[in-house]
Amino acid sequence: MEITDWIRLIIGSTFLICGLVIFFTELFGVFHFHYVLNRMHAAAMGDTLGISSCLLGLMFFSGFNFTTLKLALIVLFLWCTSPVSSHVLARLEVATNDNLDAHCLIYDDLQDLEAELAASGNNDQIGGEA
Amino acid sequence: MIFHYIYITVLIILSLMVFACLIRAIKGPRIADRLMAVNMMGTIVMVMIAVLALMLKEGYLVDVCLIYAMISFLAVVVLSKVYIGIYEEKRKTAEDSDTDTSANVLEKGDMSHGNH
Repeated sequence: MEITDWIRLIIGSTFLICGLVIFFTELFGVFHFHYVLNRMHAAAMGDTLGISSCLLGLMFFSGFNFTTLKLALIVLFLWCTSPVSSHVLARLEVATNDNLDAHCLIYDDLQDLEAELAASGNNDQIGGEA
Repeated sequence: MIFHYIYITVLIILSLMVFACLIRAIKGPRIADRLMAVNMMGTIVMVMIAVLALMLKEGYLVDVCLIYAMISFLAVVVLSKVYIGIYEEKRKTAEDSDTDTSANVLEKGDMSHGNH
């Protein structure tokens, strides 16, 4: 193998190992947390960062051709769709859970939350908005 | 040849991760848990297809991967909407039956009152 092949191998496998570590972290988080809205945070990380790191490594392996372009297209597509699917899943959980207030704090009125945030010390931001 | 060994190792690790996601999908106490696990499995399978495309030197497998991403996204969105709709419908029928019985009671009370 030539020297450029070795460089491609080292950089690509570094990115690939990073992606696998991120996937492992995602799985650890999903098994570690106890509620869906907490688990979703860990799962969304693998959807964007894990797959983009893995596919970046594969792009270094494949060289400069159309396959690389398609892999980049997959990463772009997932960056757009993964937040949307997480949002829809969170809406599903909030809409179908009858005792959601056992897991998280719920404000009936949004102005209560804003008043509490203003009272708790985010004064500069709220003052800037006002 | 080194590339081939790397691909094989990555595929083995990813398949173990897919099994872990499957365990989460089976154990998940709520529907959102299962859908989230299916979404994770879709992501990991996408990486597996991309690795296979490079390992077998078949470029068209990356197109399969792109279509897989689209269908996985569509499945999550559509299933979430369907489950929200089912839940709303169930709650609405429960509320309707409640209001029907209370309305009957009210009518009876009014009639008895009128007769009186």
